[in-house]
Amino acid sequence: MARIVVIGGGWAGCAAAITAKKAGGDVILIEKTDMLLGLGNVGGIMRNNGRYTATEENICLGGQELFNITDRAARHVNVEFPGHKHASLYDVIKVEPMVRRFLKEIGIKILLQKRVNDVEMDSKAIKSVVLSDDTTISGDVFIETTGSTGPMGNCLKYGNGCSMCILRCPSFGPRISISKRAGVEDILGQRGDESYGAFSGSCKLNKESLSEEIREKLNKEGVVILPVPKEDVNFDKLDLKVCQQYALKDFAENIILLDTGHVKLMTPFYPLEKLRKIKGLENARYEDPYSGGKGNSIRYLSIAPRNNAMKVIGVDNLLCAGEKSGLFVGHTEAIVTGSLAGHNSVRLSLGMPLLELPRSLAIGDLIAYANEQIKTKEGLKRRYTFAGAEYFERMKEKDLYTTDKKEIKRRVQRLDLLNIYEERLL
Amino acid sequence: MVQHRIECVDIGSEYCPCHLAETNDCLICSHLQGKEFCDCNWRGVCVYQEYVWNGNKSKSLRSETVCEIEEKIEHEGNLTILKIKTSRTLSRQLKEPGAYVFLRDVNLPHYYDVPMSVMDADDMNEYIYIAYQTIGAKTKMLKKLNDKVLVRGPFWNGLIGIKYIKSTRNENCLILARGIAQAPTLSVIKKLNRNGCNLKVILDKGRVGKIFLSKYLKDLKIGYTEVNLMENEGELLVDSILAKENYGLVYVGGSDLLQKRILDLLEKNNCNSNLVVTNNEKFCCGEGICGSCTTFTENGEIIKACKSQMDVKKTVERRNMLG
Repeated sequence: MARIVVIGGGWAGCAAAITAKKAGGDVILIEKTDMLLGLGNVGGIMRNNGRYTATEENICLGGQELFNITDRAARHVNVEFPGHKHASLYDVIKVEPMVRRFLKEIGIKILLQKRVNDVEMDSKAIKSVVLSDDTTISGDVFIETTGSTGPMGNCLKYGNGCSMCILRCPSFGPRISISKRAGVEDILGQRGDESYGAFSGSCKLNKESLSEEIREKLNKEGVVILPVPKEDVNFDKLDLKVCQQYALKDFAENIILLDTGHVKLMTPFYPLEKLRKIKGLENARYEDPYSGGKGNSIRYLSIAPRNNAMKVIGVDNLLCAGEKSGLFVGHTEAIVTGSLAGHNSVRLSLGMPLLELPRSLAIGDLIAYANEQIKTKEGLKRRYTFAGAEYFERMKEKDLYTTDKKEIKRRVQRLDLLNIYEERLL
Repeated sequence: MVQHRIECVDIGSEYCPCHLAETNDCLICSHLQGKEFCDCNWRGVCVYQEYVWNGNKSKSLRSETVCEIEEKIEHEGNLTILKIKTSRTLSRQLKEPGAYVFLRDVNLPHYYDVPMSVMDADDMNEYIYIAYQTIGAKTKMLKKLNDKVLVRGPFWNGLIGIKYIKSTRNENCLILARGIAQAPTLSVIKKLNRNGCNLKVILDKGRVGKIFLSKYLKDLKIGYTEVNLMENEGELLVDSILAKENYGLVYVGGSDLLQKRILDLLEKNNCNSNLVVTNNEKFCCGEGICGSCTTFTENGEIIKACKSQMDVKKTVERRNMLG
């Protein structure tokens, strides 16, 4: 049996663990904090714009489980907000236990509060990973889904300091780049001005701290748009953020609130004093990051070079997914890259050719396109998501975007990839 | 081969970041080593963040305080035990296993500073107890003191493997100490005893010629066996003990040679107990500056032994190799 070790229990790691398990792997998932899903515990936006297509593609490929959970945990479906259509918003408070239970049910071994901080190599292959308690875990194939966020020193040097986000580095220890430990240099994302990294794009307010009127509207419609006082409109801030799909003029002139259990505020940070000038937010306080009035986490400082089958270049038995694998934004992007990496981990352990998704699928095209772009100087300043900005335009141009489930199934079927993730390889 | 990461004993304390941060020589933080991105293994509040919040400056160094010597008991064999009145804060800070201070005559220059393990600290009554053996220039000058002494501290790196002492609970522990190294052993015994451990204590009066821990152990109701650990009889005793029972932790207080002998016995008996040993490097400043404690890993990496917690077995082996 192939022992597959997944490092990092966010959306990408959970997705990889599931497809690796389904392909017949013996899967261990290692997570440094006490909760799975990482930033997925404070996110929530699914199925907006091209993510709808990617979601349905992944379901047809056989990677439906996590999307079924986020659909089941949805507080709102078919929400529209500026630049975005047919979004569904999952309840961030409900989703993690659902995922955790499911992973356990299908027999994935989950190690929580265990942090990998080094590797033992045998030539160009990883023999085992070393945990911070000095124990080691050996495996045949490893999948790195440690993301690219933090730790504190990076958030300080390239941001406004630790803002106490859900990753809780001071409690659980720093993220360590496993690929770098294995001898492969990280690729770094940049901002418009060529400084490194980017701010996470949203923060969350405590719903109880908002006015009753706003709360009611959020509960009913999922979205509330409030104008920003003219003197406080700041277009520069749009440049700071990760989520270029939300870096629209509307997002500078308005406060856009989404109901994900918490209230998602679509801006990297917003000084509390200014926020409280807005009607209905007089008593607002932050839920995540705790210091959302001051800053947010810094991301994209640790991307591994990979091929389009998600294998890390330069290490024989390491794959990657999620933000670790490119300048991707979002849960959907993490899940679809994770699903592919997990499936390919079992192929790699068997010496089979790795699966590359064709560019006639949105997922295959995103994976390949992001990989082309990351090699260019300008490409390092962009982010890649089905949900908007440059890549969604490309999806529309290439006729990849559709919300027609039958059409998506037909596309996957024509490629003979229907339910490929369901195949047990050993 | 995994490079065992060095841990700094001062990290996260009120003395961190220290002046090593100002010169890009921090033992832990990659930013404060002049690198661009995070690559550390510290599980607490970020050293770099503390540094920037402190105005890109290090925190203050340990202070020197003139303290009263309340009691000075001279034993045969050049052994002296001092009872020193300190502040409550200092005595509390020195309660941990591995704690030490620098002592010297108020009227002498700083290079007379001599590092001394804190045998016992009583933070209720604000005392520390120091046992020392008169050997060289520094300790001879110390012996002349009667009423006042200059104390610089707190320092914590008197033992290697401190984390194992803190984390061992309700297990069998083997405690071995010889000569003046009985002094740092008392706080180890007290800590493990508090942690519910079952202690097997073997003491050797060594060159100091006295089991000066006996009265403390009597108070704690902990028995001990006396043997010469550097002779055959000691070796046979330890060997038979290790063959009979499993120990979660083995502590060795004594010279490099003694530590190596015990390590060999552990290996012979296939014991994978956590090992804790006294840090036998020579300390002069305790702040990672003067270089007297500098040693090297097998990869040639420089280690400042006065602050670094390192792999215990490798440290013992290397020191014996360097002889």
